[in-house]
Amino acid sequence: MNNRIKEYRARYNLTQDDLAKKVNVRRETIVFLEKNKYNPSLKLAYDIARVFDTKIEEIFLFK
Amino acid sequence: MKKAVLVFVVAAMLLVTVGLWIANTSGDLGFTDIAGFGVIILVVAFAVFIGFKRLASAKRGEPTEDELSRKVMRKTSSLAFYISLYLWLAIMYFSEKINCETHTIIGIGILGMAVIFAVCWLILNFTGIKNE
Repeated sequence: MNNRIKEYRARYNLTQDDLAKKVNVRRETIVFLEKNKYNPSLKLAYDIARVFDTKIEEIFLFK
Repeated sequence: MKKAVLVFVVAAMLLVTVGLWIANTSGDLGFTDIAGFGVIILVVAFAVFIGFKRLASAKRGEPTEDELSRKVMRKTSSLAFYISLYLWLAIMYFSEKINCETHTIIGIGILGMAVIFAVCWLILNFTGIKNE
């Protein structure tokens, strides 16, 4: 599974720290997500999509 | 925050116990004693490292634990347990060949388990966990 978190974060002018605080996880988790080293839970994926005001499938791309 | 402080408390208690052990040791310390202390210091350093990481997260206003760290801890526990079985098997095999007291063998096993846990945690923490 790939994701476009980095792209959306740049679009919304958010740092990894900002996004981590908004979705209540550690910054390391955002780093791992962006590097595709971790697949998030449905709740975290939903929270991230809500921060970017979009759908989960727009951010997380299933291969 | 409480969990971060708890790690430091446990590490301090461990150091005090090692200090008492050294103070009560009669005569010179042997190689096995020094090696044992070295491994304990490594384990304490690992605990302090985790404690500092958690404190840094708390200071940034982030949770000290989240779904990734919990998943890493779960996976580390299961992997370390699995590897530890082989460690005990090796200890059982070598204990017959090397003359060691029972409490020394148990001590080596417990320290070995701690080291295996630390190594597994470091590997999983830096490589990440993909979907399984």
